[in-house]
Amino acid sequence: MTRLSTPDILQGTLDLLILRTLQTEPMHGWAISDRIQQISQDVLQVNQGSLYPALHRLEHRGWIEAEWGISELGRRAKFYRLTASGRKQLAVEASEWERMATAISRVMKLA
Amino acid sequence: MRIRDLRLRVQALFFPRRAERDLNDELTFHIEREARKYVDAGVDPTDARVRARANFGPMTRAAETCRDIRGISIVDTMIRDVAYALRTIRRAPTVALTIVGTISLGLGLIAAAFTIFAATVLRVDAVRDPGSLLSVRRAVAPVPAAGAQVVPKLTRRQFDALRRDSSALADAFASVPDITSRIDGRMMEGQLVTGNFFQVLDVRAAIGRTLTPDDDRPAGRRVIVLSHKAWSRLFANDPDIVGRRVLIRAQPYEVVGVAPEDFYGLNAFSPDYWAPLSLVGQIRPWLAGHEDDTAVDVVARLAPGVSIAAAREALHAWALRDGSGVQIDAQPLDRAVRFSASTLLTFAPLFIAFGLIVLTGCANVANLLLARAVTRQREIGIRLSIGASRARIVRQLLTESLMLAVAAAACGLVLSRVILNVAVSALTRTMPPELIEFLRLDVPHLDWRVVAFLVIAAVASTVAFGLLPALYATRLDLVRAVRGEAVAAGRPGRLRGALMLVQVTAATLLLICAAIFLRSAMHASALDPGLRMHDTVTIEIPNDTLRPQMIAAVDADPSVEAIAGSWPTPPPLGRPPSATASTSDGSVARVTYRVVTPSYFDVLGIGILRGRTFTDDETRAGGGVAMISEVLARKLWPDGNALGRVLQLNPDSDPDAGHRALDRLTQHHRQQEPGLSSPPVLIVGVTRAVAGLRIGEPEADVYVPSGIGTPRMDLIARVQGDPDDARRALLQRLSSIDPNMGQVFTMRSLARLETYPLRVGFWLTIVLGVLALALTLSGIFSVLSYLVAQRSKEIGIRIALGATAAGVGRLIVADSMRTVCWGMAIGSGLAVGLARLIAVASAGTRLGPIVDLFDPLAYVGSVMTVASACALAALSPARRASCVDPIATLRQE
Repeated sequence: MTRLSTPDILQGTLDLLILRTLQTEPMHGWAISDRIQQISQDVLQVNQGSLYPALHRLEHRGWIEAEWGISELGRRAKFYRLTASGRKQLAVEASEWERMATAISRVMKLA
Repeated sequence: MRIRDLRLRVQALFFPRRAERDLNDELTFHIEREARKYVDAGVDPTDARVRARANFGPMTRAAETCRDIRGISIVDTMIRDVAYALRTIRRAPTVALTIVGTISLGLGLIAAAFTIFAATVLRVDAVRDPGSLLSVRRAVAPVPAAGAQVVPKLTRRQFDALRRDSSALADAFASVPDITSRIDGRMMEGQLVTGNFFQVLDVRAAIGRTLTPDDDRPAGRRVIVLSHKAWSRLFANDPDIVGRRVLIRAQPYEVVGVAPEDFYGLNAFSPDYWAPLSLVGQIRPWLAGHEDDTAVDVVARLAPGVSIAAAREALHAWALRDGSGVQIDAQPLDRAVRFSASTLLTFAPLFIAFGLIVLTGCANVANLLLARAVTRQREIGIRLSIGASRARIVRQLLTESLMLAVAAAACGLVLSRVILNVAVSALTRTMPPELIEFLRLDVPHLDWRVVAFLVIAAVASTVAFGLLPALYATRLDLVRAVRGEAVAAGRPGRLRGALMLVQVTAATLLLICAAIFLRSAMHASALDPGLRMHDTVTIEIPNDTLRPQMIAAVDADPSVEAIAGSWPTPPPLGRPPSATASTSDGSVARVTYRVVTPSYFDVLGIGILRGRTFTDDETRAGGGVAMISEVLARKLWPDGNALGRVLQLNPDSDPDAGHRALDRLTQHHRQQEPGLSSPPVLIVGVTRAVAGLRIGEPEADVYVPSGIGTPRMDLIARVQGDPDDARRALLQRLSSIDPNMGQVFTMRSLARLETYPLRVGFWLTIVLGVLALALTLSGIFSVLSYLVAQRSKEIGIRIALGATAAGVGRLIVADSMRTVCWGMAIGSGLAVGLARLIAVASAGTRLGPIVDLFDPLAYVGSVMTVASACALAALSPARRASCVDPIATLRQE
C-alpha cells in the first residue's frame, strides 16, 4: 500500500470532503471513500477507522441523514444523504476552505 | 438538528440491539464491498477478504468510536460494566464477600463514631443566627496561689449591669446549668435561665408558651418549660401537658410549654426543663436571699453591624467603668463550646482508632485486589489487545469497586447501628446504677449526614484501594500477559510492603493502648484509698425542713449500722473549701477543711493516730476544737506534738456562693468571740492521711465538728449486706418522706468510677486491637501464600539445586518479617509520641496519677504479642514453600 506517501486527511477536512461527495447523490460509506480516492487520483485515502465515526458525527449534527437501502451487491446498506442544513454547512465550509487554500498558495508563491 | 440528535440518541438508548446490529451491518458491508473490489480486479476471494480487513484496521476500535458518538455510551458502558462486574463477582463470590465484609466492618466502626459526633458536636441548635452569639465570661486572672483554681463566673448582679449598660450587645441572657433534682421520683436536669432566654435565641414553643421576662421577676412565677426530650421520655408526649404541675424540691411548678425538638438550649445534651433564674433561691436554698450573687453563664448576641473585636473593646471599657475589677472576655459561642479542646480530645482518639481499623481493612482489600489483578492479567491483556482502551478497562475495574463500595456502605450502616446498640447496652449493664439515672444513654437517631458520610467513606476507600490495582493491572506487557505469564511484580511488591507496614503499625499501637489501660485499671483497683468504701452509702438531703424525719428514717433502716454527717459532700465528690491556717508561733499553711460529726472517722474508717474524736458537747457548743491530718500536723509542728496546740482558721472568701453555708455553720463561733474574725481552734486529734481516690477531690486537712442536724450536711451510712440493695431500700424509704430527695450513692460505685473509664478504654482498644491484629495476620498470611504460589517455580529450582527447607522458608518470610519489625518499631514510636503529647496536654495532668503512659511492661508485652502472632501467621506459608516438590513444579513448564 502507498500509505507512506499519502498524507493523513486533516481533521475537519474529512467532514468537508464527505459533505461535498454527498452533494451529487446519496451514497453508502464505502462508495464515499472510494469516490474520494478516485477523484483525488489516489492521493487522498480515507482511513476507514475515522470514516464511520465521521459519518455518525455528521448524522448526529443533522447535516446528513441515513436510510437503509439495497446496495449494488443486493445487500442491505446504509445510504447517507445531504440535508438542507448540511447544504448550508457545505457552502460555509467550502468558502472557508477556498479562503484558506488561496491564502496558503499566496504565501507559498510570494513569501 | 437538536431534535434529530435527540431522536438518534433515544433510539440508540432504547433499542440498543438494533443500533448495534445496524453498526455491525454497516461495517461488515464496507469490508465486503472492499473485498468485492479486489475480486473484480482479479484477486483470489480469500485473499481479497484478508486485504479488505487489513485495509480497514481494527474494526472494534472503529465501532467503539462510533458508539461514543452515539452519546449514550456513558449509560451504555455503565450497564455493560455493571453486568460484567456482576458476572465477575458471581464467579468469585468469596473474594467479593471478603472485600465487602472487611470494608463494612471498618466503615461500621467509624460510622458509629461519626453518629455520636454528628449527634453531639455537629448538631446546630435551631436558633436565629447562631453566628452572632457570644459567650461572655470573666477573664482568667493569673492565680497567685498554686493549685487548681476554678475560673470565677460572673454574678447575676454583674450580668444585669452588663445587660443594661452595653450598647455593643443586642441582648444577653444568663443561665445556670446542671440543676439536678429528683422530680416525682426521677432525676431531672434543669437549666435556670433569665426570662429573655427564648427571646434572645428566637425560639418558639412547640406547645404552650416559652418563658418570658415576666416570669423572671424577683421571686418569680413557678413555671417551667419542658424540653422535647423530657416531654417524650418522662411524660410520654402527653398532649395535655400544659398546666400540669410537677414538684421540684417540694414546690409545685406549672408546666407552661414544651420547647421544639431541635432545641437543646445550646447544650450538647438537652436538659429536661428550663425555669426562671429568679427561682434559684428555691431550687438551691442556700442561695435564698443572695440571688444576685448567683454565678451565671452569660451568652450575648452582638448588636447588628458590631464586630467581635468591637464588642470586646466595649466590654473592657464597661468593666473599667463599672469598677468591680472584673476582666471580661468574649468568645464566639461556636468556638467556645463546640470545638473546644475537650471535645476534640474526646473524639480524636476515637476517630484515630477507628480510622486505623478502616486502614488495616483497606490494606487487606488492596492486597486482595492486587493479587487478583495479577491473576486477571491474562483477561485484561486479551481485552487490551483486541482494542479496548486503557481508560475503558480502568473504568470497568472502578465500576466493580464502586459496586462493592455500595454494598459495603449498606452493610456498614447496619453494622454501625448494631455496634451502637451493643455498646450502649453494654455500658448500661456495666455502669454503676447511680450513673444510669443521670446519663440515660441512648442510641442517636440515624440522620442523613451519617448516610452521606458512609457513602463518601465507602466510595473513597474502595475507589482508592481499587484504583491502584486497576492502574497497575492495565500497564501490561501484552504479549506475555496473553500467553498467561505473570508479569514481573516489582511495584506491587513495594506497595504490599507499605500496606503491611501500616497494618502492623496500627495493630501494635492499639494493643499498646489496650495494655496501658488494662495495667492502669489493675494498678488503680489495687490501691487503697484509705477510706472505707465497700459498705458505705452517701445520702444527700436537699430539703432541710425535712431533715429530722430523713435522719430518723435512715437511722431506722435495718441495714444501716452507723451514720455520720459531712459538709461538703463526702469524698470523693465534695471539694473541701480552702482556708489559711496560722499557728501561734507564726507558721502559715494553706489548708482545706470539712465540717463533720464525731462518727465520721469511724464510719469511713479513717484511723485516729493521736488524741480523740469530737465529743457530742463539742458539736453542740461549736466548741472551738478541730482535728487535723498527720500530714498537716507534721508540716505545722515538725516536733510531732500537735495535740493541744491552737490553730487560727481564716476561710477564703470564695466568689462562689458556696461559702455562705459555712458562714452560717461558723456563725455561732463568731458570736461567742465577737472580737475575732475567725475562730481559733484547739487540736484534739490527729488522723491518718487519706489518699483518696485519684479521680476524686482530695480529702480535707482540717476537720471541724458539728451536729448531724446542721443544714446542708450530707449523710454517710455504713450498711450491712449488698450496698446496692441498701441503696434501693433507702431510696424507697426516703422518697416516701420527700419525693424530691437528693442522690444516694454507694461509695463502692464511686470507687468503681475511678477505674470504669479505664475499663471502657481497655475493652474498646482491646476489641479494636484484636480486630486490627486479626486483619493484619490474615493479610500477612494471604500475601505470603500468594508469594509462595507465584514463586513456586523459583523455589522448585532452588530446592533442586540443594537449598535447605529452612533456607527456602527464610527466603519467603525474610522480607515480610523485616516489614513487621519496622511496623512494630513505628507503632511503639507512635505510642510513645502520643503519650508524650497527652502528658503535655492539660488532660494529662489529670490522667497523670491514674495512668502510667510509659509503662514498659505494656509496651514490651504488646510488641511480643504482635511479633509472635505474625510469626505464627508466616509459619504455614513458609512450610508450604519448603515442601514444594521440585519435580512437580518444573514439570509444569
